[in-house]
Amino acid sequence: MEGKRSSSERSVLLRKIREFTRTIVEDLSNGRSPIVLIDRFRNYCTNPNAICYCSTDLLNGKETLTLRRESHVHRLDVLLRVLLIVQKLLQENRHGSKRDIYYMHPSVFSEQSVVDRAINDICILMQCSRHNLNVVSVGKGLVMGWIRFLENRRKFDCINRPNMAHPIPVHVEEVKDIVSVARYILVVEKESVFERLANDQFCNANRCIVITGRGYPDIPTRRFLRLLIDKLCLPTYCLVDCDPYGFDILTTYRFGSMQMAYDAKYLRCPEVCWLGAFPSDSEKYCLPQQCLLPLTAQDRKKIEAMLNRCYLQREVPKWRLELELMLQRGVKFEIEALSVHSLSFLSKEYIPSKIQELCSESEFTV
Amino acid sequence: MEFASVHAICLHFISSAIQRCRLSRELCRLSVILKCSPPSDHLVLRISISDTGVGSCLEEFRDLKFSREGIGAEKWDGVLSVRTTSICDNEVYHYQLNLKESASARRLTRLPSNPKNGVKFSGTEVFFSIFESVEVLLPEINAFFQKMLVLRIPNVAYEVVVEHEDASGSRCENLFLANEPYPPPFSASNLERLKSGLEDYVLKHGNNSNKKCGSCFPSLECVKAGSGIACCTEDHRNAGRMMEAIIVISEISETTSCCFRTCGAKSEVFYFKDFSPSAISPSSMKALTSIDWRSYGLTLASIVNQGGHALLEWEGLPPYAHIDIVLHCYHEHKVMIPSVGQKTQLDRNLIKRAVKLAFDDLKEKHAGVLLSAHALKICSYAPDLAKTMAGLILSSDDSGFQEECFSLFGLQFQGVGGEIVEDCIKEKIISIIEMNDRKSHQRSEEVAPFLFRDDCLQELELQEEEYEEGEDASSPLDI
Repeated sequence: MEGKRSSSERSVLLRKIREFTRTIVEDLSNGRSPIVLIDRFRNYCTNPNAICYCSTDLLNGKETLTLRRESHVHRLDVLLRVLLIVQKLLQENRHGSKRDIYYMHPSVFSEQSVVDRAINDICILMQCSRHNLNVVSVGKGLVMGWIRFLENRRKFDCINRPNMAHPIPVHVEEVKDIVSVARYILVVEKESVFERLANDQFCNANRCIVITGRGYPDIPTRRFLRLLIDKLCLPTYCLVDCDPYGFDILTTYRFGSMQMAYDAKYLRCPEVCWLGAFPSDSEKYCLPQQCLLPLTAQDRKKIEAMLNRCYLQREVPKWRLELELMLQRGVKFEIEALSVHSLSFLSKEYIPSKIQELCSESEFTV
Repeated sequence: MEFASVHAICLHFISSAIQRCRLSRELCRLSVILKCSPPSDHLVLRISISDTGVGSCLEEFRDLKFSREGIGAEKWDGVLSVRTTSICDNEVYHYQLNLKESASARRLTRLPSNPKNGVKFSGTEVFFSIFESVEVLLPEINAFFQKMLVLRIPNVAYEVVVEHEDASGSRCENLFLANEPYPPPFSASNLERLKSGLEDYVLKHGNNSNKKCGSCFPSLECVKAGSGIACCTEDHRNAGRMMEAIIVISEISETTSCCFRTCGAKSEVFYFKDFSPSAISPSSMKALTSIDWRSYGLTLASIVNQGGHALLEWEGLPPYAHIDIVLHCYHEHKVMIPSVGQKTQLDRNLIKRAVKLAFDDLKEKHAGVLLSAHALKICSYAPDLAKTMAGLILSSDDSGFQEECFSLFGLQFQGVGGEIVEDCIKEKIISIIEMNDRKSHQRSEEVAPFLFRDDCLQELELQEEEYEEGEDASSPLDI
């Protein structure tokens, strides 16, 4: 689905949109009830013991939207409205954010997730990625370290000041001329940890690239990370909180999200290794009891659901063991808790020692 | 057969007369003559019910019982005089029946016959006297015939005559002719007659007027009718038993509400049994209660049995709209003598089927009428869907595509505004929603396909989807 942005690509998409519209017009004019079939994709199932095809990116059935059910008609209404906006964006070769689209009919869309779903539906129908629709997100990710690249004609010279944060470019497909002398890529879950590392001049001491998606990573962050891994072939480590959300964010980088399962093969980064924090780190690094928070009922529910994801058992059984351990211990902690001994503990000791460990026990991550 | 009142027995004799007229297949006349005695004579009312139908074989009088509790000796002595002759008889037979007697030998007395002197005719007269005021009986008889007109039996004319035997000797007549002004052809089916009869009844404000009310119903569009017929085929004993249902939805012009009917938003269900108005049975009431009115966009607020008539009260019906319903149960091949015997379960099923078919027929013929609440909700999306679809066509920079879409809709490409395209799409969407609504009614009748209805599958999908979304709900990805 990924492809170069070009006018011919836009015209292909516009043709697909017209074909879709024409099919509905034909149905209506013949007095037939229009049927919109949307392929369904999933990047995991919830039966870890099943022999499944989740890793193959094959479609998993179809959804049928008709005029018979109110929920379907509402979804069609939203889908067509978003499609009309996309058609205009493509015809005028302009870009719009998902938020822009939401604010065009806020009372009909009611919430952002409704627009997101429609955009995903359109991507599946048109067999393209979101950026092909000229729909972009407001960039959220940050990058620093030993890297330099161009986005369109804009130069991102991080090497010049390796500890300064730069926004991850929104139009990742425009990124080119990547130059790097880094030895690895470090992905951190949170902006606070990213800032801690910047303050500690982490990139001066370690030749690396540090990226954060500031929580759940957006598409540009994941596509940018994927681009760097593809172009630079560097080992990639991911540092997340030791809680179910941290783990979920880790799996989003590595396996992709369920919502974007149709595009997972362009978004996931199977090379990502889990650097920490592990449930066992609380003992290993002697975290005081007050730094450990009990898991809430919602945390437990989320962990139990995640344990059933088929890819954990199949591809990273050790991750799954750690997740089970988290549930058994019944506690969680944030990465910042590691700073209880000293502010620079994370950058001076924890991360270098973890990377060292991974290098010597590389099989752990697989 | 016992009767609760003299009115009931009087209407029973009229019903029997109607059956004899139907059997004759000739043009017949049914006369009810009420002779009022002078006030000095203790309000004796002499009632003569005569018809020119086939003669009576007295069978219909055999099971009649005089009930002291029901009628009371002070109203009627239980004595009937019956004169009858068949076309092939040479004389007019004359009998006296005393219904108070239970022994058949004493019950029937044969009186001297009258010779016909070679004249060919047939007919029957039932004569009896009661102590009752004509003002009490007459409205019931008139209402009976007003309802009879709904059946539009083509070969019978009814007249009700009231004669006062006082000094004035006044006489008033009321004629009920089924066939004016545009009678259905003689070949028309019972169902067609019933439909046209109910339409007429509505247009004439419950047959209270001699002509259709042009101010309330300026056009035929104001009255929409649907008919359904259910027939018992499986059960051999009852094979041929029919239930006809007619539903008329009328909308009175808002400006002339002065002659709006007294029952207002309520609907009276007329129940005919074997070509006579009849009281509605409890099982028929149950059948009416169990009809899925909501699937036709109607909300039944209450149903009451008011003196044998079912009154349905609606919720949320537009103020000037009215629904009239007629049910007619009869045997296709036999002319039945009126009886009170009920085949309850059978009637219940037949009513439900016939009413459903009548609703479906009405929906089929009149677009946009009786959409289910579900379809109405879906229809509310039609303007928005149409607007967006029109937008996708009109904002396209490919004129070839636009032209193609216009031609698919049968529109001229040049000089047609966006609103016309939008309206055209809206109309098509609504007609498809209506079609789906009709199909869903038809489909709900079929049990087996329901197991594999796509709705069921989609329900499963929906649950799965919700689970997935729930799990990822806290991950606002891709913002």
